[in-house]
Amino acid sequence: MTLMPEFELARPRDVGEAIAARHEHAGSRFIAGGTDLLVQLRHGIDRPDVLIDLSAIEELGKITSGPGGARIGAGVSIAALARDATMAANYRAVKEAAEMIAAPGHRAMGTVGGNLCLDTRCIFYNQSEWWRRANGYCLKHRGDVCHVAPQGQRCHAAFAGDLAPALLALGAEVEIAGTKGRRRMPLGDLYVEDGRAHLTLSEHELVVAAHLPPDPPPSAYSKVCVRGAIDYPLAGVAVALGMNEGVVKSLQIALTGTNSRPFVLSGTDAMVGRPIDEAALQAIERLVQKQVQPMRTTNASAHYRRLAAAALARRLTAALGIGSRPDAAVSAVR
Amino acid sequence: MQTQSPRSRKRLLKLKLNGRWREDAVAENQLLVDYLRDVAGLTGVKTGCDGGECGACTVLVDGEAVPSCITLAARCHEQSVETIEGLIQQGRPNRLQRSFHEKLGAQCGFCTPGMIMAAEALLRRNPHPNDGEIRLALSGNLCRCTGYIKIIESVRTAAETPA
Amino acid sequence: MSADPTAGAKRPGVPLIDGIEKVTGRARYTADLMHADALVGRIFRSPFSHGEIVRLDVSKARAVEGVAGIVTGTDCPHGYGVLPVAMNEYPLARGRVRYRGEPVAAVAAIDAKTAEQALELIEFEVRELPAYYTSEEARAPGAIPLHDDKPGNLEREVHHHFGDVSRGFAEADLVREERISCAEINHAQIEPHACLADYDPMSGRLTMQSVSQVGYYLHLMLARCLEMDTSRIRVVKPFIGGGFGARVEVLNFEIVTALLARAASGKVMMQLTREENFLTHRARPQTDIRLKLGMRRDGRITACDCEVVQRGGAYAGYGIVTILYAGALLQGLYDIPSIKYDGYRVYANLPPCGAMRGHGSVNTRHAFECLLDRMARDLGLDPFAVRRANLLRAPTRTLNDLMVNSYGLEECLERVESASKWRARIGKLPRGKGLGMACSHYVSGAAKPIHWTGEPHAAVNVRLDFDGGITALTGAADIGQGSSTMVAIAVAETLGVSIERVRVVAADSMVTPKDNGAYSSRITFMVGNAAIDAARKLKAILIEAAARKLEARPEDIECGEAFRVGHGAQSSLPFAEIVKEALVDRGPITVSGAFTCPPEAQGGKHRGGAVGSTMGFSYAAQVVEVDVDEATGVVRVDKVWAALDCGHAINPLAVEGQIEGSVWMGMGQALSEETRYVEGLPLHASLLEYRVPTSAESPAIEVQIVESHDPYGPFGAKEASEGALAGFPPALVNAVANAIGIDMDELPVTPDRIVEALVERRRRARLATAQRAAS
Repeated sequence: MTLMPEFELARPRDVGEAIAARHEHAGSRFIAGGTDLLVQLRHGIDRPDVLIDLSAIEELGKITSGPGGARIGAGVSIAALARDATMAANYRAVKEAAEMIAAPGHRAMGTVGGNLCLDTRCIFYNQSEWWRRANGYCLKHRGDVCHVAPQGQRCHAAFAGDLAPALLALGAEVEIAGTKGRRRMPLGDLYVEDGRAHLTLSEHELVVAAHLPPDPPPSAYSKVCVRGAIDYPLAGVAVALGMNEGVVKSLQIALTGTNSRPFVLSGTDAMVGRPIDEAALQAIERLVQKQVQPMRTTNASAHYRRLAAAALARRLTAALGIGSRPDAAVSAVR
Repeated sequence: MQTQSPRSRKRLLKLKLNGRWREDAVAENQLLVDYLRDVAGLTGVKTGCDGGECGACTVLVDGEAVPSCITLAARCHEQSVETIEGLIQQGRPNRLQRSFHEKLGAQCGFCTPGMIMAAEALLRRNPHPNDGEIRLALSGNLCRCTGYIKIIESVRTAAETPA
Repeated sequence: MSADPTAGAKRPGVPLIDGIEKVTGRARYTADLMHADALVGRIFRSPFSHGEIVRLDVSKARAVEGVAGIVTGTDCPHGYGVLPVAMNEYPLARGRVRYRGEPVAAVAAIDAKTAEQALELIEFEVRELPAYYTSEEARAPGAIPLHDDKPGNLEREVHHHFGDVSRGFAEADLVREERISCAEINHAQIEPHACLADYDPMSGRLTMQSVSQVGYYLHLMLARCLEMDTSRIRVVKPFIGGGFGARVEVLNFEIVTALLARAASGKVMMQLTREENFLTHRARPQTDIRLKLGMRRDGRITACDCEVVQRGGAYAGYGIVTILYAGALLQGLYDIPSIKYDGYRVYANLPPCGAMRGHGSVNTRHAFECLLDRMARDLGLDPFAVRRANLLRAPTRTLNDLMVNSYGLEECLERVESASKWRARIGKLPRGKGLGMACSHYVSGAAKPIHWTGEPHAAVNVRLDFDGGITALTGAADIGQGSSTMVAIAVAETLGVSIERVRVVAADSMVTPKDNGAYSSRITFMVGNAAIDAARKLKAILIEAAARKLEARPEDIECGEAFRVGHGAQSSLPFAEIVKEALVDRGPITVSGAFTCPPEAQGGKHRGGAVGSTMGFSYAAQVVEVDVDEATGVVRVDKVWAALDCGHAINPLAVEGQIEGSVWMGMGQALSEETRYVEGLPLHASLLEYRVPTSAESPAIEVQIVESHDPYGPFGAKEASEGALAGFPPALVNAVANAIGIDMDELPVTPDRIVEALVERRRRARLATAQRAAS
């Protein structure tokens, strides 16, 4: 079945209207680019009565930058983000992540907010209604068993957005609008390790922008996919590395594709004051291997995603550490 | 896919389709691809997958190449939409259409309309793309016949032809 | 046969005669046919892998307002299938379901929403039976048979033995055995399956427009399943968005739609989702191969012992042919003195497999070419040298009695060796970069058709009327490969007229002569020859008329846009004048041309000997250059050099396109494509999870056309669209071995498989070090 369910479409002009509409219709959902949501609706996942279309809200569509850093509106398209001069100059990881997402058509439509709030994915979940029903549904949707780990109590669907790790590594915050006004919090706080409910947003809240701090360290993003486009990352890694006189000043590594949330690798503080040498790179690989929790949610093996995440973290750190990016780091991405 | 339920709420969609303004009442849940094929009769727009995976339905919305199978028609209000049919000028295929024909960029032809629209968006933005840029611009459009070799050659040839 | 090294490349190609329609969006594919007045068809599919049907109640669905017809297995008691000996499938399940996704019932309704509502109300219960998802499980002792007449779940066993294999191995300096497996893959043609069936209850006639590559077989199966006289059925092929074998047998949804149209007394449009395309399947089976070769120190092969197990899915389809091809086409490429082949086609509770580009030959060829390379390495020989040590000499017959009349493999080898600068570069690339090569071949049409009727293998009618337009009528299905253009060229070249004068009407059973269809690369060879035959007959008539008009001897007349005596020095008349003269007394002209493969081409007398038989093999060699990222396991193909001997390139542009496309399709199978299942549910039933390569990672492919001028081919031509595919996967695996020193035994070579193999190598190295330390 690929029939689109019926819904009404609301097109608010500003964020306030959007929040009000969400509040008014219990069975409503926000839609930004729709590149993931509309596919899910055709798969019979979720049947909202009202879709609240955010594309007409001007405020969401802008990137601004200044001495206080950069503010990326949640409605900015992935393509616009990839083309943005500020990102290219200062926030390289964000640009690199943006230009590798899906394919050009998805990037033209997909948005920053949509990518940050991307639903988690799993081979037992991203299937047609017929498929999921034949399989007795799953913990994430209509069922009570996680087919990835039937003994467990949680859903292991994996987050596969590319922008989140890049923004996390650069210390981004998110600006959230709700019925009670706006709030800002570290991007990391937007997520929890639960494939069924990985966002901490309350029901009527909306991500309206991401804020990047000024004077970022050099950064890079890389991921592994089976093919060169139209693919989600099996593992994606962003690294932001500040160096000072040959030793680490700051090191932030963030990952996607391996867990139910994107997350910042912990333990990298220990690298501060040390050079990026083989020992440091091996330590980073070990940290990644220890902290990622890939499960069999993709057609590639979980073991592979663990190893690939570690390899990418090592490679990007090494490349940033020597101040230039060797071709190898780029070619791994494709 | 064929018929919208009469229960769906409709709204007036005004858009510039292949250069002509037109208005239609469309169901709010109607996909652009279904509007183009079933309402406007533009069957050059193809459906090849169950949503956003193959690029066969690619059309231009305000000049950007997007998959019309994951675009709601109602969101194209007051926008310009172009399809493969709109590239023909006074009965003559445009330079991309000619080069895809002459260089065998089309074999079975099913991915071709979407492929040409993606290429059209590229050439408008970047009149002289190199092969790498062509490959990336078309990377959301799957072709199963050509291995992309003659498609890339067709786009290169078109770029060398005055518009 | 010596090949002319430049001929094919020098001739200009002809754009497809239906190309303008395709690039302008005017081409109407099945889903584009006017169907505003049609009912919408939907299929209810089994959610169970295996079970006896206990209850199927469609009464609630039938009661839904707007439902015009519902059909179930009781509406069609006739089995169907492409092979007359193995029609063990029903359009809608009867008694048992054997795979998840098997059609059980179908609804025709006024719109899609109503049809889907009705599907929701169908009540279906089965008594579940054990289900088998691997060949091993299905063949295990005690496994219950999917089909009662097939104990052990073996659809077909093949045991062929040619020459003396034990003597061959005894004479070998090196014997090596490998186990290689290839994942199941899918055609993934970009156009999803669709058909439009129109049943007129007043006349009792059925018109079927469908995506079929085999309109004639569809015609026969519709007549059989609907118990209709063939004369009341018309099958029309619209534009088709690719096939690659997906549509070379009649598919369940086609018969189901016809049943619905009759049940609803009207017109029904059926469009399958991409997921349903994967459930319909009929593609290349998951295959396990055990291959043992004997080789002398100089690279000469002495013996080949090959066992192939194909997991064929729940029904027969083409299975018997596939398992026979897998063995038969071990031959015909090299000179091998002894061959033993054991093939097992196994039933399992999965969507049925079928034919896919390079039918049956690809996976065995993959194993063979990988093993040749490994043995070359063991013996310190160059991969090219090993191939050259085993070349055939045409004309010859293989051990299994296949004819080889032209053989351009040697030339192909030279071309790709030189173009890739193999000799200068092999062994000198940096770590992570590698070169690999392999050879392959394929038939130009099966010399013995599936439905043997005694008729010619192909027939083409050519018409000429007062307007001077020449119309070629062919049943051959143009599915994008350019067969209609080939017919136009064959007719125009034979008559010496401009191709613009020729129109082609193809694949409409009401007007075009029967054709077996677009499969086994038969059209160029067979239909091409028939087209030439018809054009020659027309030419004779025209020359006779011209001789009268020009008062010259027929043998002195030159036929063309103008008819001349001698070389035009004397008198000449335009085409239109000659047409007028030719039509006097006789009226409008229709001539029939035909082509028949002689009995000596139809293979050996052993059981299954007809499979693999052909009038001419295409030959191909290719070199693949890769870059392997050992950290991420990502394999990038930097460049491919491919050469194919197609005898003669009737349309060099189209031949290039076919070679590029087939090489690239081989790349998909080698690198990223596979269809696995979890408890019978498909894990790759979308174009997101079924990873057809995109333009981003697809390489440049440098193509060379080799022309060996086949003595029986049309203008010397052979097939060009399948032969090069099978060489890619082994060339890639050989290149990966060259790059990182690891022999990959499983396709596809995905990043995770590469990394797992590297981890395993490190583990073994550690183990070896530890053992050395301990001893």
